[in-house]
Amino acid sequence: MFFKRKEKNPIRIVDKKVHEWKYTTCGYCSTGCSIEVGLNEEGNAVATRGNANADVNRGKLCIKGIFEHELFDAAGRGDKPLMRDKPYEPWKKTDWDSALDHMGGEIQRIQETYGRDSFAIVSTGQILTEEFYSLGKLARGCIGTNNYDGNTTLCMASAVSGYKRSFGSDGPPGCYEDFEHTECLIAWGSNLPEQHPIIYWRLKEALEKRKFPVIVIDPRVTMFAQFADMHLAITPGTDVALMNSLMYVILDEGLEDRDYIDKHTKGIEEVEACVKDYDPVTASKICGIDEDTIRNVARLYAKAGAAMGIWTMGINQSTHGSDGVVGINSLALITGNIGKPGGTSLSITGQCNAMGTREWSSCSGLPGYRYLEKAEDRKEIAEFWGIDEEFFPKKRGMAQTDIFPAIETGQIKGLWLVATNPMTSMPNTARIRKTLEKLDFLVIQDAYADVETTHYAHMYLPAAVWAEKEGCFTNTERRVNIVRQVVEPKGDSKSDFWIFKELAKRFPNGKKIHFPETPEGAFNEMKQLSKGGDRTLDISGMTHDKIEEACGIQWPYREEDDDEGVAGGDVKGSSRLYTDGKFQTPDGKANLIPLPFIDNNEVPDDDYPFWMNSGRVVEHFHTRTRTGKIGNMNKYSPTPYMEMNPDAAADLGIKHQSYVRIASRRGDAVVMVQLTQRVSRNMVFIPFHFHDCVNRVSLGLLDPHSRQPAFKQCAIRIEPVDQQWAGELNVERRTY
Amino acid sequence: MNKQTQQSEIKVQYFDVNNIGKVPPLPAAGKKNPAKPAIEIGTREDNMTSTQKVMRRYNPWFMMRNYLDTLGSNAPALDDTPRPIFDERSGERDYAKLNDPVVNDENRYGTKIDLLDLADVEVPEERSMFINGNPEVGTNPNRYKQHGFHFTADNCIGCHACEAACSEKNDNPAHLAFRSVGYVEGGSYPDYKRMNISMACNHCDNPVCMKGCPTKAYTKHAEYGAVLQDPETCFGCGYCTWVCPYNAPQLDPVEGQVSKCNMCVDRLEVGLKPACVSACLGNALNFGVVENMPDNREQIKTSIPGFPDPSITNPNIRFQQTKSMPNEMGRTDDMPIKYHKEEDGTFRSVVDEKQGKESFWNLSRLSSRENPLVIFTLFTQASMGAFMVLFLGALMGIESLVAIKNSIAYIPLLMVMAAAQAIGLLLSTMHLGKPMRFYRGFNNLRYSPLSREALGVAMFFTGLAGLTALEIVSIWLPLEIIETLKPIAAWFAVISGLLGLYYMCRSYLIPARPFWNHWQVFTSFFGTPLSLGSLLLAVMAVPVFAYNGQDYTALLQVTSGLAMLGLLAEGLGLMAHAKYLNTESGEGAAAHYVQQTTFGKSYVARNVLIAVGVLVTAAITFALAETTIGLVLAALVAPTIFITLLAGRALFYVLVIPTTMPGAFFWKNKGFEQHARDIGLANMPQVGVVPDLH
Repeated sequence: MFFKRKEKNPIRIVDKKVHEWKYTTCGYCSTGCSIEVGLNEEGNAVATRGNANADVNRGKLCIKGIFEHELFDAAGRGDKPLMRDKPYEPWKKTDWDSALDHMGGEIQRIQETYGRDSFAIVSTGQILTEEFYSLGKLARGCIGTNNYDGNTTLCMASAVSGYKRSFGSDGPPGCYEDFEHTECLIAWGSNLPEQHPIIYWRLKEALEKRKFPVIVIDPRVTMFAQFADMHLAITPGTDVALMNSLMYVILDEGLEDRDYIDKHTKGIEEVEACVKDYDPVTASKICGIDEDTIRNVARLYAKAGAAMGIWTMGINQSTHGSDGVVGINSLALITGNIGKPGGTSLSITGQCNAMGTREWSSCSGLPGYRYLEKAEDRKEIAEFWGIDEEFFPKKRGMAQTDIFPAIETGQIKGLWLVATNPMTSMPNTARIRKTLEKLDFLVIQDAYADVETTHYAHMYLPAAVWAEKEGCFTNTERRVNIVRQVVEPKGDSKSDFWIFKELAKRFPNGKKIHFPETPEGAFNEMKQLSKGGDRTLDISGMTHDKIEEACGIQWPYREEDDDEGVAGGDVKGSSRLYTDGKFQTPDGKANLIPLPFIDNNEVPDDDYPFWMNSGRVVEHFHTRTRTGKIGNMNKYSPTPYMEMNPDAAADLGIKHQSYVRIASRRGDAVVMVQLTQRVSRNMVFIPFHFHDCVNRVSLGLLDPHSRQPAFKQCAIRIEPVDQQWAGELNVERRTY
Repeated sequence: MNKQTQQSEIKVQYFDVNNIGKVPPLPAAGKKNPAKPAIEIGTREDNMTSTQKVMRRYNPWFMMRNYLDTLGSNAPALDDTPRPIFDERSGERDYAKLNDPVVNDENRYGTKIDLLDLADVEVPEERSMFINGNPEVGTNPNRYKQHGFHFTADNCIGCHACEAACSEKNDNPAHLAFRSVGYVEGGSYPDYKRMNISMACNHCDNPVCMKGCPTKAYTKHAEYGAVLQDPETCFGCGYCTWVCPYNAPQLDPVEGQVSKCNMCVDRLEVGLKPACVSACLGNALNFGVVENMPDNREQIKTSIPGFPDPSITNPNIRFQQTKSMPNEMGRTDDMPIKYHKEEDGTFRSVVDEKQGKESFWNLSRLSSRENPLVIFTLFTQASMGAFMVLFLGALMGIESLVAIKNSIAYIPLLMVMAAAQAIGLLLSTMHLGKPMRFYRGFNNLRYSPLSREALGVAMFFTGLAGLTALEIVSIWLPLEIIETLKPIAAWFAVISGLLGLYYMCRSYLIPARPFWNHWQVFTSFFGTPLSLGSLLLAVMAVPVFAYNGQDYTALLQVTSGLAMLGLLAEGLGLMAHAKYLNTESGEGAAAHYVQQTTFGKSYVARNVLIAVGVLVTAAITFALAETTIGLVLAALVAPTIFITLLAGRALFYVLVIPTTMPGAFFWKNKGFEQHARDIGLANMPQVGVVPDLH
């Protein structure tokens, strides 16, 4: 009744009427935050909040997690399988049975015509671990192609390769808790505040309790570089020279942990010989860091009671990615900083389940870090799955970055892409477009029907996204956490787990191999495969429920560990690997590997005078298929932009907030200029998230060990462009 | 141990543990300027007798107004089912919990921190805030203390978590944000510094938004000192967005209403810090009773580079910023402002000549969303000026003006004035986000100059329209009573018109908008009635006189003489204004820079035309009125004056640069917003820019 209204204005605050909060794990980066999604009475996801009990994020979330509930209803999702004979024909909707029959038939036709390995599979770091396991089973056990890889080749391959070379096995040996114990942190090419804000917050919390030196190595003055005690503005692609020089100083001045080196490593002599060539004076000429700084950092690091190195794409995405990882590992090994609190070599991973694919997808071998090259591994898995062990190849096939060239030259005729978007994510877009056009059969399995790659596809399978399904992610500190299903898959889309399981029925081996009906069933198989021996990747003590209760458990967590803290719900798993100094090499000793530095970067010259560097911004994830559609994130960078030094711009007459054309030896792109002294006079920085932008010009030389492309180093030139035309082009290319 | 010692021991312990470092002596503010006691701390009804309450509630005006408010309202019904005020999560961590064991008596400006003291009236301790109608009473022990944000600029990483948490909680669309992060940057590679600034509402001691709001949509609550705004009361005039120096109130062009930070009072009631603070990932943002030092912090400063002068509103925000910054910090958005370090280490805003020195016409950009106000002020001033000149001039016995009153042109002239005023009022009403709520504009006569302006203009229109009607009626009905009423209506119009005009000027004297905050507004808003009003009289009456063979020379002399005075006032005001802008630094000078570059040619042309107008009208007045040349010149100068004043008024609105916080490269960058609209990016809602709605 109006006359009862109080004269004081009523206070209205949005009440989303959350009826139930559901536990799940964030599906963006690999920090592994525990999230709660709020559902209203109608069962719609209306809110997100951090889980305050989780040790990883302690209730905090970054901008992407905060809006994660909005992605269920965001634009661009597919809801029906689509087929067509030729990519230039219009799509026809179909049902799942017909789609999978056709797909199974096409794969077998291609394999029969061109050979078993002529059909390739490229998956992702985005789907759940149980799904990876099932895909591995399907790819290795039923389809039998050896050209099967994940897009983790674009982000984590160098870390994997480096870990394997140094320690004999993959798996980050440290954890976030190490920040609370370390006395010196070196961050190599890692911009935590932008890329992993929650990990940054954990570091900040540790620093507020107890100050310790932070050294950031980055060519760009990121916020992290600005807040660091020392910022080493390194010349792009020369990290290995700096590492060698740090080792030179440590060994030269006798700061190494000789006891640890003798007991737990081998190869020190070769390393000593190699680093002789990298005295600080010589190295300073290569990497652009002066000799005093090199000595200072080396002493600080070596003398710290516990010191840690972290890194991200600044190391991985270079032609010396794997070597860079080995270098960071070696620095840790020679100073005895492995497997102890605050002393570690911690890769800060990219995708939410990059670890899951490394562990269980079989793309670089067989499940559970098993090798195709080892007869006993082939035998064990063949028996476990119930197939003939001769079905497995005896050597790993091609990596993602070799699969595409093989399509280009006709060895591979069919391709299945699972939750990856190479038209935006792979270097040299023009070459990828040409490559995709050559395929006889391209299947895209993705939550989003509007990814650019679908233009070249013959079939599109709509997949469920994130918490529309159930299963595990492993984060960058080996913590297995669970994604609980929060809502039903959109429309007629299906979980990747279901798609793999159903497609398997279309292959002869699929009738022999058992595909569990539920993700938990698959998890139980993984548990069995993780048991035994000195295996670090042991999850046999975990169950889905226990994982939720603990908000994630770090492997190894063995069956026998399980009796310990269960009652209190204080299950923690293992914080660190290699605490006993025993490594996964035949003799248990870590490898110290010499790293001669060869400068093979495309360095700036007269024709292409600028370094082009690329990287992430906090509001976007990968190719923006998700974040580009959520206004409250996308608005912070709705169009591609390029950080450029104002002095360099003045020389070229380029204005702030105008468009320019950038050109390399591969192609060109149009981008908006942001003038800032954050970058040096001969370098620009462009976020990599945008379609038709940075990868039109990038080179992506491959790392010889990991086959990971060097996205971050190439040479470009900058030219003026008609502003009206550029603006219109920008609109056309930003349909999301 | 006896009881007394026990007590004193406890007291000492309490002091030791919590007091040391918690309540440091407050650094004195530049000048002690205690805000006037917060005027509406939401206690009005609590202190009324029941008779007063009944009188108030059943006041017919309120009843009608409140009834009208229910029409077309989409406000959710308030729900008085008892329920938790805020749904707390399990395992909540300390960073999210309020922690103010000790509080000061007064803030540095000398204002009481205990708002019950300040209210100087009795407020029931257990009073519910009725958030969403919920009768539950909060458990926060400090609920009657003034709270505020603390921002450690040293720490902000610009990760947007605060903005995201705020928008998630308040369900804001992409184009709206109660909290925004912008930045300033300086230095040169690699000695480069960027300082991010996260800013929302500062729940000021002197909430200029609340004083300015004509609808009384704002309340400063005794609980937490929160300045809350009710979008359902608001009619979307946007005046609060003009007066706020921090860009806190957000005008949503889609919904046609303002909304703003609500301090998360629902979280405060259960002892939790606001959502933005709890979400902060750089440990930069904090919250508590104002003037309290958060744990691990060492400063409670009132300013950082980029933050407007705190003396305007005495905002309840404090800062830590210990890292030295380069002498000059620039903005990445398109505002021609940068910040320069003074000897005392503080930063003041100065002009940043981002667009060079070249000068342009940019005539098409003179058209803005404030166009209705350009027309409203010009038409109102023309109508008022013409009427007052005519009425008062005739009263003073100026023959030519008496002659108009007696001519056939009189009634049509009144009708034109009334029509001009009606068009002005209609446009200003349509300019509101919710035009049907126009009646709320008179709610805040006590404080809002805008309310008073609106009432003055409305009353002027009533008097003018009444007089016009009386004049028309008296053609057929020569009644004594009508003749008595005519001067009453006319005087009513004159007095309310003058009041309206005065408060129209006062509405633009806004410290947060230095370009307007000068007496030039008076010379313009009182000069224009003379010039445009006389113009209207001349244009209407001279042809009629000429047609009737009457002598129009005197009329031409009087009107051009008055127009000359009006233009002269306008011109002198503008000269003084330019001088003021040149000596002033910061936003005013920046506006002047834009005036001399982006609109440089238009600006010069306007000034020249005013001078020409003064000369020509003077020539007509003193020499040429009787000549044909005089008539020709008059015919030429009349449209020139109108166009000059129109362009001048458009410049007045387009040029103003508020003392807002620095924006980012895309978000809160007017330059990018304009580009997104021009090029069509704004048509995608996920870009977060509202496309042009007209």
